[in-house]
Amino acid sequence: MNQDAWLTALTDELRRHGVDAGVTRHVVAEAASHLSDSGEPADSAFGAPSAYARAVVDSVGRARRPAGEVRLRATDIYKRYGRRPVLSGVELTVRAGQVAAIVGANGSGKSTLLRICAGLVSPDRGTVEVHGALGYCPQDGGTSDFLLPDEHFVLVGAGRGLGRDVARADGRGRAAALDWDAGTARPARQLSGGTRQKLNLVMAELGDPDVMLLDEPYQGFDRGSYVDFWERVWSWRDAGKAIVVVTHLLDRLDRVDLVVEL
Amino acid sequence: MRVVAEMALREIVRRRAVLLILLLFPLAFYLSRRGDHLGQSVRFVCLGVGWALSTAALFAGGAARSMEPRLRLSGYRTWHLFGGRLLALWTVGVAIAAPYLLLIRLDQPQVRHGAVALIMALTVAVSAPLGLAISAVLPRELEGTLVLLAIVALQMVMDPAGSASRLLPFWFSREIGTYAIDHTDGGYLNRGVAHGLGFFALLLTVVAVGAAVRLRRRPHLRML
Repeated sequence: MNQDAWLTALTDELRRHGVDAGVTRHVVAEAASHLSDSGEPADSAFGAPSAYARAVVDSVGRARRPAGEVRLRATDIYKRYGRRPVLSGVELTVRAGQVAAIVGANGSGKSTLLRICAGLVSPDRGTVEVHGALGYCPQDGGTSDFLLPDEHFVLVGAGRGLGRDVARADGRGRAAALDWDAGTARPARQLSGGTRQKLNLVMAELGDPDVMLLDEPYQGFDRGSYVDFWERVWSWRDAGKAIVVVTHLLDRLDRVDLVVEL
Repeated sequence: MRVVAEMALREIVRRRAVLLILLLFPLAFYLSRRGDHLGQSVRFVCLGVGWALSTAALFAGGAARSMEPRLRLSGYRTWHLFGGRLLALWTVGVAIAAPYLLLIRLDQPQVRHGAVALIMALTVAVSAPLGLAISAVLPRELEGTLVLLAIVALQMVMDPAGSASRLLPFWFSREIGTYAIDHTDGGYLNRGVAHGLGFFALLLTVVAVGAAVRLRRRPHLRML
């Protein structure tokens, strides 16, 4: 990769990570200056643009608002399937402006806990309180094979009280934040797995719910979209939403507010 | 509910092969009996329309299952969801039945066409909730399809004069058919209409209760 291409890629990565524009210009200018002085190839001096951007983000950090009122409270949740206990006395409290990660081995009950919080499954014992509107993104399914993305937006938007044009524009805008042009005329069954999951995620955030329950929503995402997804999560947190993410991937756990291990 | 109906209709209409089969399926029934004594083809085409539409409804109910919980979370009431789907299926049913009414009018001038139109209307009205009701009770498609197959097969082989056949959802079709084809007294018409409306109300209730149970707000969850 030549120097200009590397610097352009670094700029894109920093923008994706939501780094302030002024900070980005400063970092890129410093890197360009160093490369010019040293004559070293960019890849050997700084490594891949994505890795360097990540290091910058980790050092610059991101300003956080203090957590607000309780948005989701799950108390004393028990659930068994047949004789197999899946959840035993799980507690989860998430406030406005917080991100909670639910982690655990396969079959540990992560998706079940999320479905209980969404009210789709009843626990054997326990209660869930939700303050505000709820958005839910399942791990798979949740879309209609023969509808276009725009039609999904209109359908979900109508339930949230949004007009057609507003729902369509809102959906397309949120899709663009995941680097996806949702104005395609292809029905959902013709979308790739990752793109279909982007549709799933956009449907969950339509209408700006206060509480977001996301069950490994990034399955099938390319690396750039994965980064975009987590930037969306941080921006939702900054906007005061309460977010619960089921995740196997541990590289973001240092940036979440709560970790619940099942 | 209008948006749900519109999207359900779009889903069905995009399945061109399915639409073609739905349209031609009853024709096979009609032509297979056209050489029999007067009016048998009319009886069988009505059953064919009923079978085609109830099968479409069965699979439409199954396909909707993955989206309905999140639509409920989005703010729809349960009756919006099943009501919209029914509206879409009835629209498809009218589109399937209309050409056959015209065919019968042209090909069988001797039957009571008003009564035949009534059979078609009741068939469309009953078929859609029949398919959705089977889908609600038997969520797996193979089991649901086999039950639907059994119902329609019994409808064709059982003696309509027997009391057990009144337990089948399309019995009204053969009863009103006798009035339309054999020009009998109004008793056949009245019994048929009562049976059709009764099954329509029963199946609608099953669909509504099934949806209410499946999409109910769970008691452990308090939305504040």
